[in-house]
Amino acid sequence: MTEPRAGSRGWWTGLLRDAFGPTFWVFAAVAAVLAAATYTILGRDSFEIAMSGDLEILAGMLPRIVAAQIVAGLVWVLMPRDRVTRLLGTHRGRRGLMIATAAGIVTPGGPVSAFSFLAVMAGAGADGGILVAYITSWALLGMQRIVVWDVPFMGADFSALRFCVCLPLPLIAGWIARRCRYTHAAVGLANRADGST
Amino acid sequence: MTGPGAYLIYLAAIMLSLYAVLRRDGSAGLGLVRALEQSITLLPRMICALVAAGFMVNLIPTEIIGRLLGNEAGLTGILIGSLAGLIVPSGPVISFAIASAFAGEGASAPALVSFITAWSLFAAHRIFIFEIPLLGIPFLRLRMLSVVILPFVAGILALGVTKAFD
Repeated sequence: MTEPRAGSRGWWTGLLRDAFGPTFWVFAAVAAVLAAATYTILGRDSFEIAMSGDLEILAGMLPRIVAAQIVAGLVWVLMPRDRVTRLLGTHRGRRGLMIATAAGIVTPGGPVSAFSFLAVMAGAGADGGILVAYITSWALLGMQRIVVWDVPFMGADFSALRFCVCLPLPLIAGWIARRCRYTHAAVGLANRADGST
Repeated sequence: MTGPGAYLIYLAAIMLSLYAVLRRDGSAGLGLVRALEQSITLLPRMICALVAAGFMVNLIPTEIIGRLLGNEAGLTGILIGSLAGLIVPSGPVISFAIASAFAGEGASAPALVSFITAWSLFAAHRIFIFEIPLLGIPFLRLRMLSVVILPFVAGILALGVTKAFD
């Protein structure tokens, strides 16, 4: 059922070393500084309100984070990677970025569907440019967000202006991503995970 | 953050688990071990970052920033709008409420475009709930590098468009 290494002592110490590595202490220090700033600048009452608000947000988010991890883990194991890779392999080049941008605009649903689709493409070996163009397009131009939030809050004129100026941005982001050293690291995530399972 | 869409992730987790169990090839176990490993590694950092984000919201002076984003601010307004969008760690409800508050304080359209662009690209809750768990930190780093200039580009383009139509 489970892999032999899981649950062993080395497995736990490795995980905990990762969990409390240097970046953890940076995050913890930033949180402490901001907490101290809130206490000294805004006073004790504001600090307590912010703290209880934080705990509420955390309590609301933790179950969803865990659910997202389960989705990610299972998608990882279940996906027919070879087949999807072959499908994506036909859309490299500049045309690929345009298709990714168009797909981001029309993706229905909130972040769950967009990020799940992104994870599937990443697992299948889509290049960094395609991945970045897709999620940038969804974040900036996603039709659902514009209809539900942008137009009601900011007005149709402003939304149209924002849509037009943002239209080329996913292509720019994808173009930059293809030139980044980290492209392979991002796709390398797949290989690392393969090695551990 | 709220509404029926918020529950989709649970539905997805349940459906996938059921499917994996029904396959009877051990994929359910493998997937769950991987989920456990990722959760243990990431949760301490996420918790710190979310606590930090919560304090940050209170420290942002909405009125002062709104006035700084005014028409005469030009490029400075675009810069401040981008930075403000970076540090708003919340869902669309609060972000668009803040944006319209900025607009009420006289913020210019290009500065607001920068603000919303920066928020859309860097919204912390989305990064922690979805991006890091599903894609991992190397992808996050790649994406950050690729999109970091976009709020400024969007603001400058918007400035050009509004100037052209004046």
